[in-house]
Amino acid sequence: MLLSYLKIAWKVLLRRKFFTAISLFGISFTLMILLVVAALYDHTVGPHTPEKRVDRMLFITRMRLWAPGSQSNSNVGYSFLDRYVRTLRMPEKVAIATTDGGSVVAYVGNQKLKLDMRATDGEFWQVLDFEFVAGRPYSVREVREAAHVAVINETTSRRYFGTVQGVIGRSLEADAMRYRVVGVVRDVPTTRHNSYSDLWIPITASTVNLKNPNYMGECIAIVLARRPADVAAVQEEFRRVVRQVPVQDPKMFTEVRVYAEPLLTSILRELTEEDGPDAGVGRFVGLTAGLSLLFMLLPALNLVNLNVSRMLERSSEIGVRKAFGATNGTLVGQFLVENVFLTVLGGVLGLALAAGVLSLLNGSGLIDYAHFALNGRVFGVGLAAVLFFGMLSGVYPAYKMSKLPAVQALKGGTNA
Amino acid sequence: MIQHLFTLIWNRRQANFLLVTEIFLAFVVLFIVSSMLVYNRQTYQAPLGFDYEQVWTVDLDNGSTTQTSAQIVSTEQQILQRLQSLPGVRYAALTGSNTPFSNNHNSSNLRREPKGEGPNGNIYRVSEDMRDVLRLPIRAGRWLDKRDQAGARIAVVISEETQTALFPGQSAVGQIFYAGERECQVVGVTGPFRGDGDLSEPKPSFFAYANPQDTTLSNLSRLLVRVSPDAGAALEKQMSTEIMAIGKGWTSSIAPLAEQRATMLQVGLAPLVALGLVCVFLIINVALGLFGVLWQTIQQRRAEIGVRRAMGATAGAISGQILGEILVVATFGLALGLLVAVQLPLLGVFNVKTSVYLTAMLLAAGLIYALSTVCALYPSWLAAGIHPAVALREE
Repeated sequence: MLLSYLKIAWKVLLRRKFFTAISLFGISFTLMILLVVAALYDHTVGPHTPEKRVDRMLFITRMRLWAPGSQSNSNVGYSFLDRYVRTLRMPEKVAIATTDGGSVVAYVGNQKLKLDMRATDGEFWQVLDFEFVAGRPYSVREVREAAHVAVINETTSRRYFGTVQGVIGRSLEADAMRYRVVGVVRDVPTTRHNSYSDLWIPITASTVNLKNPNYMGECIAIVLARRPADVAAVQEEFRRVVRQVPVQDPKMFTEVRVYAEPLLTSILRELTEEDGPDAGVGRFVGLTAGLSLLFMLLPALNLVNLNVSRMLERSSEIGVRKAFGATNGTLVGQFLVENVFLTVLGGVLGLALAAGVLSLLNGSGLIDYAHFALNGRVFGVGLAAVLFFGMLSGVYPAYKMSKLPAVQALKGGTNA
Repeated sequence: MIQHLFTLIWNRRQANFLLVTEIFLAFVVLFIVSSMLVYNRQTYQAPLGFDYEQVWTVDLDNGSTTQTSAQIVSTEQQILQRLQSLPGVRYAALTGSNTPFSNNHNSSNLRREPKGEGPNGNIYRVSEDMRDVLRLPIRAGRWLDKRDQAGARIAVVISEETQTALFPGQSAVGQIFYAGERECQVVGVTGPFRGDGDLSEPKPSFFAYANPQDTTLSNLSRLLVRVSPDAGAALEKQMSTEIMAIGKGWTSSIAPLAEQRATMLQVGLAPLVALGLVCVFLIINVALGLFGVLWQTIQQRRAEIGVRRAMGATAGAISGQILGEILVVATFGLALGLLVAVQLPLLGVFNVKTSVYLTAMLLAAGLIYALSTVCALYPSWLAAGIHPAVALREE
């Protein structure tokens, strides 16, 4: 049954190649754009190296001192994280590092190299799963001893040493400080702004003042829960701890607002600078869904228009089927299957187009170290979009087709 | 004739409903995208008000050492003097972190009275040489200098936008205004100034004199340096070595303003380009769809067209009818779209001038008409070519 529907659909597609091409163009480009957006989203918050276990991670990035009518916000101070986050009982591990944005300058001959630098503790390398090309991360002990060691990324290694081979043990001078390179990792895209860097060094060897008691500072923490299911419990424990934290300057502020949140929430919070307990994830999801629906509406309407105007070509076929007792439901089913078949074809084309656009984006250098790619999750989103699009654009024409009166349809006439 | 076409379309409103909806949506999309483009083009064309070529920013970092504010200020002054003496450096001036194209802001409410509300304005704290570094023009009064160290009020030079916002139609020089809690006295007026970059909205701004005797200067940690045209990495390295030699534990990062401008522009333009591409795709899609539908309609109306030809209508009259019909459909779609679009300037949701919306509406409407005409050309030519004898025999 289904097979014969598909065969008919195939024949119909071949009958008028121009119309098929128009339909496929609309479907494939719509899906391409949706797939590219999905890939960008996945690239930013999905589980990717080094944040592979992102479903178990919580990020503490912003510290807000709050009073009605006056707020102050910044990244978090090291001593606060050391005292209140490292001591949490629920998490498996806690990593503390400086935020992105700090950069140092190295010179190769007369050429300047601007390197983004991140100072981290030893646990950073255990919480995150970097891909090492050579060497190893620095250890917790090396951090305790404030060793001048560094992990660099592939690009930096190539730009500074000219190679990635045999750089372990060589020294790199940045901002007049010498570091011994202990490891080289694969490039991390800048969109991963909690782990990305060109150069990683022990936080004890950096200029960060670890003794500064101020809650505000330049650090973030990445908390790794034992299981994905534990994330909520870790959040709850941290909430309880924060409630007990004394306000340092009670004359100015009444409340300390700091949250441990999943990646998407923490990114949204930084974008919206929202300081309440709700970072607006629900609003974001609603807005995205609404916008993509609106975006699909125009191409879908277009397809509906084309389908309706082509329907009359097939009125005699519909008439025959109706005369032989096909119900409206069967006909609606058949035309929906045909339309979904068409959109799936367009979807396959869209997938290929999306792969092309993503590799163009990778090559454009718009985002440093980007390696956008299609994967299972993005493919899933694409499949869902295809089916939805097929239904959206197929229901109305199918309904109109099934409504054609049999007699008139057999005569080949129209009532539209 | 036109009335007749409207009646024709109106009588077939159910059949044309989908086409009208499609044109309505296409108009809304075109309107939104063209208002954004028109708006950004206007701001891009407005003058920046300063010369950013061959200017470098030097961001100083004292390495969170235990220096007191007074020590930090004296180190900064030493660095400033040392850099000025380097060959290749023309002028150097001290300022806050809100240098042009930095995305950092320092702003306050500006008012004529000590209390109340006023327009928001950018504050740039600068030392004396900033005028030569950024090549700021002086329209009235004078630039900041040593004479301003003594006064009780902060001496400021205001931009043209501030002049219009606070002192419309009068001379601003010598006047007093309030920026937050601070009392400022105008000593001069410069041209328009947009430090927030090419795509930023013109906004009041003013330059406040950074008194070298003031210890709160330790908050100012950036230098703007005008270098000679042939300066390169060698000078940059020399500058950073000198800074590290003067201040123990001090570091610096140096970048040309032109580079920061390019980055800022790229970041600002990327979403617009993406939006433009998506819009172009949607419009091509609509055009192809329209073309397909019209073509199909011609095939179905052969008999009707044949009768008209047999009754003596010319080929021109036939293609005119087809073209006219689609233009009427487009007009229905546009009318709906304009109803929606006109809400934006009426409600004033975004702080954008009505002229921008009007230009965008004209642009979008023109595009829709052009699009429908182009799509109808080939089908109407086909229709005009229908031979009455052939078409009528098919019946």
